[in-house]
Amino acid sequence: MAKARAIVKRLKAVKNIRKITRTMELIATGRFKRAMDRANEAAAYTEKIAEIVADLARTDLDFSHPLLESRDECKNAVLLVLTSNRGLCGGYNAGVLRQAQRRHRELSAADTTVSLEVSGKRGIKFLQFQGQSISERYTHFEEKVTFGEVDELGSRFAESFVNGTLDRLDVAYMRFQSASRQFPVIDTILPMGQLAGNSDREAASSINVDYEFLPSASNILEDIVPAAFKAKLFKCFLDAAVSEQIFRMVAMKGATENANDMVGSLSQQYNRARQAQITGELAEIIGGVAALD
Amino acid sequence: MIAPGHLQLVLVTPEKTLLDEPVVALRFPLFDGKIGVLPGRAPLIGRLGYGELSIKTSSGEKSYFIDGGFVQVKGSVVSILTSQSMPTSAINATAAGEQLATALAGVPTTDVEFAIKDSEVERARQMLSLGRRGV
Repeated sequence: MAKARAIVKRLKAVKNIRKITRTMELIATGRFKRAMDRANEAAAYTEKIAEIVADLARTDLDFSHPLLESRDECKNAVLLVLTSNRGLCGGYNAGVLRQAQRRHRELSAADTTVSLEVSGKRGIKFLQFQGQSISERYTHFEEKVTFGEVDELGSRFAESFVNGTLDRLDVAYMRFQSASRQFPVIDTILPMGQLAGNSDREAASSINVDYEFLPSASNILEDIVPAAFKAKLFKCFLDAAVSEQIFRMVAMKGATENANDMVGSLSQQYNRARQAQITGELAEIIGGVAALD
Repeated sequence: MIAPGHLQLVLVTPEKTLLDEPVVALRFPLFDGKIGVLPGRAPLIGRLGYGELSIKTSSGEKSYFIDGGFVQVKGSVVSILTSQSMPTSAINATAAGEQLATALAGVPTTDVEFAIKDSEVERARQMLSLGRRGV
């Protein structure tokens, strides 16, 4: 009896867990859809910025902006690590943190002072446990990242880059490529290097429109560079949010499937134990009757 | 390329596309003053100021607050890229007043800080005046 009852107890526990993981999967699916919609809507802005930049680039303007220039010597770097606030999302945080640690080691080896800025409780806990000193912590970036929040961060980075107190900004996050493919990457977003996407866009839109620039092409470029930088940073956050939900969805789907398998094997075990017990009892009764005869 | 009598307005912020609809005429602030756009406008790329974007559609007029950014007129499409935008009726005048007070209280020391203060004050003033009108 004892064994069968123990199995029943486990069976109940597993069924409960299955219910929870199933619910979490559904929640993650819902959040993923919302995050995905946000990311899609945000893409329009980035595309437009790129289009304007490409149009400006066609004016053959000799142009430089402090955010575009790379420094010969990289003394101070910031490594921004985007992790999740909550766990139960498979290898999401581990993947990002592995990349981040590798970059941290590389930069430190090159005599660069690296200050770590970490978003997400998971990353903060992990890096603290590793004994890394974290200069900034953020836990308010959830799946609904607003541009205002990122803008604040971006302005600070841009300002310290222009001041010269920052030579390089790396962001470690999970890049979203498609619903079935995400991978941890490290993007160096400051210095921005060349404003990306010029050449292929130029080829794509063969119609050369003769724009009127107000106030002037170089003046507009001066303003559009910080906007492009912030849009890029914002995209990192959005990608991270979408990927997190996908990872959680996949992890929870796996957990639900495993719980299903476990429920199957446990019920089988329980039935066997029950049968064995009945057989045992029958044998005892028959044995007792035989002894009386 | 230019379809006469037709203008498409696309209003985008980093977070979402707020508007994508045909309009009759547009007025919005550029860096140095207001500009009006009618169908058939020559291609233009410009820097936006802060203030009101008023839209005339076939069904009536609408008014939005825009917070700097860029405008691109290409063919019949007017794209307005701004970091923040909202219908005039949604502006919180009290909050805008507080922002103006904070902006005015700042004591700039360098040229860059002066420029930042000026633009902040201008932005808050525009927002406040629109917000008051909306009430």
